[in-house]
Amino acid sequence: MNNIYKEITINGLWKQNTGVVQLLGLCPTLAVTTSAVNGISLGLATALVMAAANGSVSPVRKLVPSEIRVPVFILVIATLVTVIDMSINAFAHQLHKVLGIFIPLIVVNCIVLARVESFAAKNTSLPSILDGFMMGSGLMLVLGLLGAIRELVGKGTILSGLDLVFGSSATPFMWVSTDYHGLLLAVLPPGAFLGLASLIAIRNWIESRNTAKSKTIAPVLNPSLNH
Amino acid sequence: MNRSPYITDAPTVSTIMFKVLLALVPGIAAYVWIYGGGILVSLTLATLTALTAEAVLLKIRQRPVKPYLMDMSAVVTAWLLALALPPLAPWWLVIVGTFFAIVIAKQLYGGLGYNPFNPAMVGYAALLISFPLIMTKWPAPLLLAEHPLSFMDQLHFIFSHSLPGDIKVDAITSATPLDYLKTQLMLKHEVSSITQAPIFGAFGAKGGELVTGAYLLGGLYLLQQRIISWHLPTVFLASLATISLAFYAIEPNHFANPLFHLMSGASMLCAFFIITDPVSGPTTPRGKVYFAAGVGVLTYLIRVYGGYPDGVAFAVLLMNMCVPLIDALTQPRVFGHK
Amino acid sequence: MSESKSESMVKHTSKTAITMIAFAFLGTALLAYVFEITRAPIEASEAEARLALFKQILPENSYDNNLLKQTIKIAPNELLGNHRSTEANIAILNHKMAAVILEAVAHDGYSGDIKLLIAIRADSSISGVRVLTHKETPGLGDYIDVAHSQWIRLFNDESLAKTAAEHWQVKKDGGKFDYMVGATITPRAVVKAVLKAEQYFAMNKESLSSNPENAASVQANLIQKPKDKS
Repeated sequence: MNNIYKEITINGLWKQNTGVVQLLGLCPTLAVTTSAVNGISLGLATALVMAAANGSVSPVRKLVPSEIRVPVFILVIATLVTVIDMSINAFAHQLHKVLGIFIPLIVVNCIVLARVESFAAKNTSLPSILDGFMMGSGLMLVLGLLGAIRELVGKGTILSGLDLVFGSSATPFMWVSTDYHGLLLAVLPPGAFLGLASLIAIRNWIESRNTAKSKTIAPVLNPSLNH
Repeated sequence: MNRSPYITDAPTVSTIMFKVLLALVPGIAAYVWIYGGGILVSLTLATLTALTAEAVLLKIRQRPVKPYLMDMSAVVTAWLLALALPPLAPWWLVIVGTFFAIVIAKQLYGGLGYNPFNPAMVGYAALLISFPLIMTKWPAPLLLAEHPLSFMDQLHFIFSHSLPGDIKVDAITSATPLDYLKTQLMLKHEVSSITQAPIFGAFGAKGGELVTGAYLLGGLYLLQQRIISWHLPTVFLASLATISLAFYAIEPNHFANPLFHLMSGASMLCAFFIITDPVSGPTTPRGKVYFAAGVGVLTYLIRVYGGYPDGVAFAVLLMNMCVPLIDALTQPRVFGHK
Repeated sequence: MSESKSESMVKHTSKTAITMIAFAFLGTALLAYVFEITRAPIEASEAEARLALFKQILPENSYDNNLLKQTIKIAPNELLGNHRSTEANIAILNHKMAAVILEAVAHDGYSGDIKLLIAIRADSSISGVRVLTHKETPGLGDYIDVAHSQWIRLFNDESLAKTAAEHWQVKKDGGKFDYMVGATITPRAVVKAVLKAEQYFAMNKESLSSNPENAASVQANLIQKPKDKS
């Protein structure tokens, strides 16, 4: 039983990572990740929506006739996203201003519907909730990492904007380099593509090393295909 | 290159690249004469960075280092980029740009022969977007400068960004004519009065037009040596001239004349050295015509309506993107097939 | 046979419809509930954000009224560059008008409109200026934004009395305002917009400051067109 949960976790965070393996939901990935705080915030919002969506669809999956399952799923997702949108607006207003349109856009992020349709509609509640959350967390990791790289290279800052989420008490955790020109390219749209490409490359590299290690005895037939 | 009869040996890559470098020499000489020896420092820095980056990347990619290094293509990229940068670019700017050109635009795509984008232009565009303030500030030509800098002063400036005495950086730099023209036009001045400013020469930028002329000379040498085919430069210059003439004819007070566009910015460098890159350009003769015409029109439109002063780099990159399509559409029909 | 088939179809259809309605109802109820509990915090956060912005250009101790409530409608006006009517906030201290916060738009930036928030004190001096939105080139013209440079603070304490209108220009054009080489169009536009806002204030000072306690009634007196320049 424990194995299932472990597998779900590894699947979401690494094997089928939304951001760098499935490449789903690239719109927010590319647009929002100008800083780590932005990336993590949107990732967290997505993870919460996904966990809640999976959690609410799974128990009622047998009640919903298959003809209307997609409208019903979308209805559930839209409701949850709007709830999260209003909550962020109320309790982290500055952050809401920064993330702006991308919070409501979680509704159309295909990964949310994809997990509801392919996992929650076929599994029991607990694994479904975990699957939604882990898939979302995988995305959150990528968004956070991409945001961190882009703000460090582009502006020479670490965790800038943390005060938007936690108030001015978070300022000591922020770091701003003073004598740095800033490679503006990194925070502009091309930086998102270059950064994401680097992350994908790094993941593939680690993966290919791991498979090479585990298959040292088995002859590799066509090594060039691994690229 | 489609040359027949195939009797003589086709020139090797390194011969071609060597001749391209040779063709750049008159331009560099004029450059040194007009702007001072600082450019030599940039060229050296760019060359060293390019060769180092190329060697390291080849090593990582487990390709033979020496033969690829000796083909000189990295040096051509480095020189073109260095020549496109402002003459007194700080050292780190040259290094970052060259790194971008060689590592990201060339080696990550698979090295020479596989890069879809012109590496030098990728490096240039990355720098322009990242550091627009430095990239759009050009020092006045020596003959116009209030404080002409000696070579040692320039060297010092490149590495420490400080000037002797109390000269301010702003005192030795100004906008390029293309930039100046654009900003003045926005203030509703007329072209004829704008071009009275001292930075304008007979055709393009005072001093700068000589460098441009020297590039033309080098280009003609490449044509004579059959390193490049006539299609690309001719069509590019013709399309740039035609579109600027059209606009000029409609409203001469609001648009500069064709000659100004041909002799300003990177037009000549682009015509003979940049769009003639065989890797990132199209392969069919008809495709070359479309490609060059596209670059000419885009260059003009970006110059006149875009957010940055010169449009050559973006125009080339945009047309690079169209190359697979152009090639596919202009494939000559094999005899006997429909 | 066919009867029972259509019967089961009706049954199935109604089941589907009812399920859909039930989910829609549940969703709506949940949203209504969350809307109710977040409405007050959202309004409070919005007001707080607005006040925080005002605080940047107008010290809190320079007024004693509720800035957000004390507004006056400004019709589209050439000097302020607004194509739609906007609201100006009036700061009041001891029952007298202390300052006005105006929104102005510069249409002649390098790319797109530049929207400014300008606080002008009763004595016509500027308390502060901030850029609300702009589309200037990143790294080049965006130094007008306080997040990138302190340039915008040059306007603090400026006034038409201190600097004659013809000196409200960037240094390149012979004025007194600094700029960054390579980007003169943007600051030029901002300087011009602030100057015009000053002129607007000078023209409408009477009507803006009279009767501040019920400011809404004075809007009819506002001069909408600049006087002929002599």
